[in-house]
Amino acid sequence: MLLHLCRWLQENSFIAVINGTSWSAAALEIVHYFSMFIMVGSMLIVDLRVLGVIGRRQDATQLADRLFPWMWYSLALNFLSGFLMFAGSATSYYGNDVFYDKMAVTLLAVIANIIVQQKVRTWDKLPAMPVWAKAVAFASICLWVGAIIAGVEVPALTGVG
Amino acid sequence: MDGSSVNSGANFAVGFGHWLQNQPFALSIAGSDWAYPFVQATHFTGLSLFVGTNIAVDLSLIGIGKKSAAPFQISEMLLVWNWIGFAVAVTGGFLLFSVSAETYLTNMAFLTKLGLLIPLALVLHIVIQRKAPEWETAPETPSVAKIAGCAELLLWLCVATAAVLIPYVG
Repeated sequence: MLLHLCRWLQENSFIAVINGTSWSAAALEIVHYFSMFIMVGSMLIVDLRVLGVIGRRQDATQLADRLFPWMWYSLALNFLSGFLMFAGSATSYYGNDVFYDKMAVTLLAVIANIIVQQKVRTWDKLPAMPVWAKAVAFASICLWVGAIIAGVEVPALTGVG
Repeated sequence: MDGSSVNSGANFAVGFGHWLQNQPFALSIAGSDWAYPFVQATHFTGLSLFVGTNIAVDLSLIGIGKKSAAPFQISEMLLVWNWIGFAVAVTGGFLLFSVSAETYLTNMAFLTKLGLLIPLALVLHIVIQRKAPEWETAPETPSVAKIAGCAELLLWLCVATAAVLIPYVG
């Protein structure tokens, strides 16, 4: 069923065209990398602020309000470009364990971001950042680095992508 | 420059590349199953921090994003981590380069990226970093600040484009 869906995606004429010419394949890669830098970068800044190693004189809420919209815009671009690249060779990604690991780690990282975004206002009003806030921020940093490692391991270990 | 000196320059570069990629550290990265992807991941993590902090400052100069009542000095707070990201990215990038230095030194996309786009982007980056505290506290962001922020964003996008094109032209 899922494999059937993968085959259907891959044979879709739009998907085939966008992955088929080298300039559009390169454009997808550029969008995927650059949006990843903005997404992970803005999240790391907020995490580092929650951990207290960056700009303690600025309040975390103000920083988070500035950066979170960009994190979500770039996540949308990142997901879109990533999905189009996935769709181009969907049947090779189907059954690719490292790719599933990448998706799982990325999903956990996004969940950690959502927690930080929801809670940062509350944490900011406390006299000091609570320990569990720092734990979530630290986990978020580790998960993003893990997502990047998993991302480069997909072609390195499985030859796909 | 006449033809022969161009040639000797190219020969020197190829010779250097050959020497570098045969150094023990480069050979051990190339020969290991796990080292190369980890070096790649290091490069990308450093870049995320570097480009992320750059774009945060640029976007705030351009004036996109939530407005706050008080002047918001984002550049100052990000300065240290911006350069930490840069150092990590350069370290990872140098190691990636050293694995197949000879090929990179004859790749036009790589030469454009390293010889032209990165120096330009870095010069503009340092100018912005020096000027930002003044620009950010001004009651109205000067238009030169907006143009500089926009130009820097586009330049780093060009750097990423050149990087992606390396395997396509090589």
